[in-house]
This record gives sequence, C-alpha cells and structure tokens, in this order.
Amino acid sequence: MRHDGSRARLVVGILAALSLVLVVLDSREGANPVTSAARTVGEAAFRPVSAGVSVAGAPIGGAFRTATAAFGAAERAESLERENEALRARLQTREYDSERAEQLDELLHLSGMGGYEIVPAQAVTRVTARGFSDTVTLDVGRDDGVRRNMTVVNGDGLVGRIVRAGAGTSTVVLVTDHASSVGARLESSHEIGVADGGSEGTGDGDPLRFELMSADTRLKTGQRIVTLGSLNGTPFVPGVPVGTITSVDKTPGRLTRTGRAEPAVDFGSLDVVGVIVAGPEDDPRDSLLPDPPSKASGGEGDKQDKQEEQGEKDKRDEGGDDAADGGSGSGGEDGR
Amino acid sequence: MKATVSALLVLAAVLVQTVVVNRLPLPWGLAPDLVLLAVVAVALWSTPVAGAVTGFAAGLAVDVLPPAAHEIGRTALLLCLAGYLVACVHDSDARWGLGPYLAAGAAALAVPAGFLLIGVVLGDPRAALPEALWPVLGGAALTLLVSPLVLGPVAPLMRRVSGDVYSDLPTPWIAKGWGR
Repeated sequence: MRHDGSRARLVVGILAALSLVLVVLDSREGANPVTSAARTVGEAAFRPVSAGVSVAGAPIGGAFRTATAAFGAAERAESLERENEALRARLQTREYDSERAEQLDELLHLSGMGGYEIVPAQAVTRVTARGFSDTVTLDVGRDDGVRRNMTVVNGDGLVGRIVRAGAGTSTVVLVTDHASSVGARLESSHEIGVADGGSEGTGDGDPLRFELMSADTRLKTGQRIVTLGSLNGTPFVPGVPVGTITSVDKTPGRLTRTGRAEPAVDFGSLDVVGVIVAGPEDDPRDSLLPDPPSKASGGEGDKQDKQEEQGEKDKRDEGGDDAADGGSGSGGEDGR
Repeated sequence: MKATVSALLVLAAVLVQTVVVNRLPLPWGLAPDLVLLAVVAVALWSTPVAGAVTGFAAGLAVDVLPPAAHEIGRTALLLCLAGYLVACVHDSDARWGLGPYLAAGAAALAVPAGFLLIGVVLGDPRAALPEALWPVLGGAALTLLVSPLVLGPVAPLMRRVSGDVYSDLPTPWIAKGWGR
C-alpha cells in the first residue's frame, strides 16, 4: 500500500510536470512543433465527428433554437421590423443630412468671415397661399433672440429680413418679394442703388430689379450686388451678396439705370438659413463677400490679399460710405 | 475490462462535451463540464494512478480539440490532479449516497478556479480577476446541476465492472443515502 502510494505520487508528479511543460511550451511565442502537431491531430479527429454531429443534430438544434426563441419571437420580429424601418428612413435622410451639413458649414464660414453672431434656423414653410407674398417661416423666434428687422442670410448670400418674430417661429420676407427693397451697391464700382423684389408669384423672369441712384454710371452684366448696410445693422447688415446682374434695361430718357439681377441665393431650395442677431465690434464692410467665381480656386493668400485690398478701398471711400448709409436708410426702409 | 470501460466513458464524455454541449446555445455562455464529471465518476472507483492517468488523458483531449483556445496542458494538469485526489479518497464512503456529488461539486469548483489561477499566472488577458470569478461559480453550479445525469448511470456501471460486493443492489441513487 505504501509502495502503491509512492508510485501513484510519482505518476502524478510526472503527469503534472508533463502538463506544465506543455503549458509552458504552448504559451511561448511562435509555432511549437509539439503542440501544433497535437492540435493538428485533434483537429483531424474532431472534424469528421463534428461534421457528423452537425448533420445528425441539425434538426435537433433547429428545434432547440425554435423552442428557445418561440417566447420572444413575436416581440423580436416586431422590434426587427421597427429597426428595419428606422434604418431605411435613416438611409433616406442621410443624403439630405449631408446637404444640410454642407449648408450649415457654408453659413458658418460666412458668419465667421464677417464676425457676426448667427442663429441657425430652418425654413419650415414657404407661405405663398395667395401667391402674392414671398415669405418663408423659420423655426426660430423671440426665444432664440430673433427680433423684427433682422437680416437673414444663408451660405450663398442675402435671404431677406424678419418681419414678424413669434415666440418660436418667425416670418421672413425674401428679397424677391414685391414689398422688399434692399439698399445695395455694385461690388466693383461701389455705386449705390436699390434692389427691389420683382417676383411675380409664379417666379418666372428675373426676380430682382436693381436701380442705380446715379445717372452717369455704367451697369454691366456680371457685376455683383452687395448690401449697403443700414443704420445699426437693421434691417440689413452691409456686405452680404444679393445677386448678380444678368441684364441691363435699355431706358432711354430716364434718369436712372436699371437692370435685372439673379439672386445669390437659390430660393427654390431654401433650407438652412441664419438670422444675424448681433453684429461684430467693427464694421465688416465687404468681408462677407466671397471671392469672385473666377478666383474661387485661388489659394488662401489670394483671399487675404483681396480682403486687405478691399479694406483699403473701403477706407478710401469712407466719406462716400457715410453718405451711402444715409441713402440706404431711405433706400432700404422708406423705399418700400 | 474496467480500464476499457473507463476509457470509453471518458472518450464519450469528451466527444459529447466538445461536439454537443459546447455548441448548445446555453445562457450567459456557460456550459456544464461533462468531462470533469466523467473523470470524477471514474476516479471514484479507480486507483490513484488510474485516476491520474484518466484525468490527464481526458484533459489533454479537451486541450487539443478545436474549441479550446488555451495552452495545451492546462486542463490536463488540473484534471490529472483532480482524478488523483478523488481516487485517493478511497477508503471512505465517498462512493455512496451524496459522496459522489460532494466530490463532483468540489472538483467542479476547484478545477475552474485552478484554470483561472493558471491563467492569471500566465498573464492570460481573459483571466481578469473580479469578472472571471462569475463564470467559475456559474459553471460550477451548472456542472453540479447536470451531475446526476452523468453520475447516476456511471456509478452503477463502475460499481459493477469493479466487482463491488454491493453492486447487485439496484438501488436508485437518491435512496442510497437512506438505505446504506
């Protein structure tokens, strides 16, 4: 018995040592011939048995799964359907979302250039019930800091101004509305004028009419119009792109020159806009104006130079601007 | 005869464990350890040497067969020790009544704990200590839960092939505690 016990201890010791050697061998980095051979043998022995059990046990396994899943099957199907629906909806809205993000990005860029404080909003309705007024409703209101006569812009340029601010919504008169007139000037020659809305309700033709104040200045197609700015920045802050002259009217015998303009903003797809609730410390002048399309591919340095150049021009024309501010008051508000 | 039956029993347990039990969709990823139960059942009626060899062989088989992702030899070491220790409780009345279940429970708790300990020593990332204790306890409970299914049929069989004098009494396992 004693001999037997010592023999057993010997056997156990050998086996335990063998196990430990195997563990240490197998836990070392890299492929080990002993353990990998053992695994290969095990895998070779396991595969046919496992395959046989798979074939034989497939119905049993299926029944087992069905039995275990039967309790929650209805709920699961319902939740999967709901999830499917949500995913499909998300897929559809993804493209829309990316477009909106792009628009918000442009808006942010625009407000950053001018240093304005902007409340982002979404155009929820386009109220043209009777076809007379060109107004949209925004989903921001007094609670968001929106007040009457604030400028509304989007990433492309001027949208309009707030005419009514409710608690949670506000109404914007677009620049294309017949009742709207914006004090504006030509970007290149700094000549001032008034941009009137010319929308006929159905929206055909050029929706903007631009009239120059001065009789002896030239109007050319392709010139860009920017807002002139009003006293204290209401209703229009200066330097926002309004549109591009598309045609010049032949007006023999009249004192002023008029032309048609294409708005900078695509009102047909108006979505994300921003309400300028506070201006910068300094007058941004023309800084909201993006580069002309021909120079759009220019580098950052070009843009910088251009802005500085414009700043200098503005300084030179300071006297003229002051006069223009007065003029814009009449052009922007009384002219309606 | 006895050696053949033991080998067949352990082989059957290994096969059932690896190809059937391990693919059942059991809750929380726990599975009962049929191999451990078979080793305990065989070792109860064996000599310490036979118990150790049986445990080593069964553990090595479990280590080598594909579902295992641990080092070869971990289970072999633990089952070898378990078989030896169970077989050492030779003279007591561990073979009767609730004795096999006590042995199975102790082994079911000790072997996963030892497995976890080796994992900790070897730096196994899966053996994070506070969380890894729950599978040990849950697996032990599950093993103990299914232990009548293994120990019930195996105990009379082993008793018969080992020529035990009381083996002719066909007593149900639950009644053995009283009728002993």
